[in-house]
Amino acid sequence: MMLTRDESLAICDTVLAHARAAGAEDAAVSVQSSVESHARFADNRVTTSGRAEDLGITATVWVGRRRGAATGNDSDPDALKQLAHEAVQIARVSPVHREYVPTLGPLTYAEDRGFAAATADPDLAARATALEAVLAACRAEKVTGAGFHSTNASATAVATANGNRRYFRSTDAGLSITARSADGTGSGYYAGDHFDLARLDARHIAEQAVGKAVRSRTPKPIEPGVYPVILEPQAVADLIGFLTNSLDARTADEGRSAFSGKDGKTRVGEAIFNERLNLYSDPMHAELPAAPSTAEGIPAARLSLIKGGVLDNLEYSRFWAQEKKRDATPGPVNYIMESTQPPASLDDMIKGMARGLVISRFWYVRQIDPRTIMLTGLTRDGLWWVEKGRIQYPVRNLRFNQSVLAMLAPWNVEAIGAPERRSPLMVPALKLSGFAFTSISDAI
Amino acid sequence: MAIPPVSRRHFLATGSALLAATCVPEWADAFQPGATGDARRAEAAEAALARAAALGASYADIRINRYRRESIATRERQVQNVSRSTSYGLGLRVLVNGTWGFAATNRVDPGAARAAAEQAVAIARANALLTSRKVVLATADKVVTTWANPIKRDPFEVPLETKTAFLMKLNETAMAVPGVTFVSSQLLFVDEQKYFASSEGSRITQRLVRTYPQFTTTAVDRAAGDSQTRAVVDRAKLMGYEYVEDYPWMQDAEKAGHEVVEKLTAKPAVPGRYDIVVDPSQLFLAIHESVGHSTELDRSLGWEANMAGTSFLKPTDAGTLRFGSRIVNLVGDRTQPGGLATTGYDDEGVKSERWHLVRDGRFVDWQTTRELAPLVGQQRSHGCLHSDDWSSVPFPRMPNVSLEPAATEVTLDDLFGDIKRGLFVVGRGVSSIDQQRYNFQFGGAVIREITNGKLGAMVRDAAYQSRTPDFWASCDGLGGPATYQLWGTSADGKGEPGQTNAVSHGCPPARFRNVTVLNTGAA
Repeated sequence: MMLTRDESLAICDTVLAHARAAGAEDAAVSVQSSVESHARFADNRVTTSGRAEDLGITATVWVGRRRGAATGNDSDPDALKQLAHEAVQIARVSPVHREYVPTLGPLTYAEDRGFAAATADPDLAARATALEAVLAACRAEKVTGAGFHSTNASATAVATANGNRRYFRSTDAGLSITARSADGTGSGYYAGDHFDLARLDARHIAEQAVGKAVRSRTPKPIEPGVYPVILEPQAVADLIGFLTNSLDARTADEGRSAFSGKDGKTRVGEAIFNERLNLYSDPMHAELPAAPSTAEGIPAARLSLIKGGVLDNLEYSRFWAQEKKRDATPGPVNYIMESTQPPASLDDMIKGMARGLVISRFWYVRQIDPRTIMLTGLTRDGLWWVEKGRIQYPVRNLRFNQSVLAMLAPWNVEAIGAPERRSPLMVPALKLSGFAFTSISDAI
Repeated sequence: MAIPPVSRRHFLATGSALLAATCVPEWADAFQPGATGDARRAEAAEAALARAAALGASYADIRINRYRRESIATRERQVQNVSRSTSYGLGLRVLVNGTWGFAATNRVDPGAARAAAEQAVAIARANALLTSRKVVLATADKVVTTWANPIKRDPFEVPLETKTAFLMKLNETAMAVPGVTFVSSQLLFVDEQKYFASSEGSRITQRLVRTYPQFTTTAVDRAAGDSQTRAVVDRAKLMGYEYVEDYPWMQDAEKAGHEVVEKLTAKPAVPGRYDIVVDPSQLFLAIHESVGHSTELDRSLGWEANMAGTSFLKPTDAGTLRFGSRIVNLVGDRTQPGGLATTGYDDEGVKSERWHLVRDGRFVDWQTTRELAPLVGQQRSHGCLHSDDWSSVPFPRMPNVSLEPAATEVTLDDLFGDIKRGLFVVGRGVSSIDQQRYNFQFGGAVIREITNGKLGAMVRDAAYQSRTPDFWASCDGLGGPATYQLWGTSADGKGEPGQTNAVSHGCPPARFRNVTVLNTGAA
């Protein structure tokens, strides 16, 4: 059950009061209430479907710079008191917390923009009707549909002993579909998400997944090697999280990230990426609005991370910013990758390709080496051979071993598409000169 | 029973803490609801089941679970975070006209339970439009019982300073090795108290306590801009604090320190075909990915097609398909002592058991639930239904899947014996496998050369890559019973919404012939 601002902050205040009474010198209390609904289908029928509501109350306290944290999901008065006291008890027997930074005081936050009330409580009959249309689209093309429809709504409130108070709500609706051909030789996947369920286009998602399944049947093997590729936005989304996870300043300063330079420096200011690439965070983005606050409570604002191919900023936590005598960064709270130039369409990318591959999606991607963001994984659910500007035929899936730094290097990016929402990312299609594949997979 | 969650000596040393103790129940007291809480829980369960039946459910079951977790995280010479959490709630599953519905709430009382039943039935009815085949459940015994895994020392009774002192000593031991730059370590304890009730009359109370120690050492060469890590993360077990006390963790920490420093200067692996010996600390993961997941019947039937994937094994393959060489025997086992997926009863009340998935190299059986078993003509479930939380829909999850050792004692040296050019792979590196569990690539934490039967220098950036049936067909040597070890993974992901499952895999070291080895640094 979603709690209102007043209900949420009242719980925060109660826990804060108990913590203070028990001896906490500083404290932050968060209250998150959430409702999740989903319907899962496979084999052209619903398999599981449910709804869950929960509450998460966390008290983090400091006593003599010693830290304790306790979390519970019970808002009864006795439970709130017990929770606060538990956090204080932990703090009292913990060592001094060397990375203590006082909790935030009063700050002003923008209104949240990523909440649609109807998404929080979807109509069950309407959902079933939409999914029946999806399954009908699968049956019409003689493919088997599997997928997942979900809606999530949450409200988060935080109050600190120093007077910071904030409350944000957010919703998210998503639909993903995997269609597999009856003969087991073709598979297609497509997904979409939006904070407003009304903006989720189930018909389009189904058409894309079914079309890919039909067009990917009876793939031919090709030899592993380095090929030019076009990555559809989903494929880019499957890789870019490893880049965004590498943008922490502390790890770079400590010499153990892709953005660590030699002799203890970082690589901020270096032209590491293609000169057309921008990567930034923006809580006010129209398609991908994000929380008006970072997880630590810093008011979120636009933050440039890569600008014209140059590493522009790394992410500083409040503690690490204090250590480095600078401000904590106002993000990232989302990631938008886009071109400094007008975007290229997927069709134009294909027309301009002499030979290479179009990749729908990657699977089981893991980072082998953080120094180069070297990844391994496999293609999945749609891979095609392109020659002379046209898709020629589907090909068997391949395993890759590819560095993200090399992938986005100045010399390797040929074209950049328009960004599409793949929450928490907005990512474009990319046309790349080279991408390294190391073995063939039999999987469909 | 009052369980002191923190050191009582320290706790009583301060006036305000004493005040706290006199004003509110301690964490552990609140966690142990006692007879009143048990009665309220049972009342809620009965209310939910009755309401579901009244609304037309042909079957219903409910899980009312309480979780307690304690986490202590450190790096180098400091404690980063100590946190405790509790979570309590109910999740109800109903079958209406052969269609499932599920609802969950953090409020455990008869009113909330009845409301959940109404929501679950409404969901099932709304989805009738999407039902092309009615769910049929295999028969199961009515069970009224309790079960708990044996523990010698309850981790929640151990003072916090004891735990932080252990982690600090671990960090110091690793950092005493010249060249070790960073160490992070963590202790996580989970106490899972589960209550299951079904419309068929089963009432099962279980308690499972798991202990998760882990640590990672890192060596940085700042001048060269290079770094290496050596993680020890997969030794979690269904055990109490005795696991922290009895296992020689400091030896592991010192060894990991030396190994990570050696990795900085190790020579790059030369790609090619090698005979490899895989240590249990790595082989468990190969078993997990290539055997554990491929023998899940729901995957073979396409139920995971949109997320975890399907399987190279077809529903008709059981009993006919050769999976590996004749020495390969793999069992599903939810009774294995210490196994993370060990339990008394699964989440639909089916008693745990041990059965062969692969016998003498032939694939013979699946992992099943009550819904899955009839789909391959079986009358009984193997007990693989699991939900990772009271709020999660229970669905098929992997049991402990383990490789049986050789019947006679075979040592590591025996396995190395006739290898002219090989590699010995130890510990968890990067793993990746395709969605039908054919093509995999596994790294190791530490990989050394084997030359003419002798273990040699460490190499870096190596990973072995193969295809599941080819890999297991190339297995021609297994360690004996004395080499058998149990490793496990604490957060195996599957399903939508995503759920995690803790699962163990026991195995001896094993030898595989002529396997492709890559240099992942050069790719």
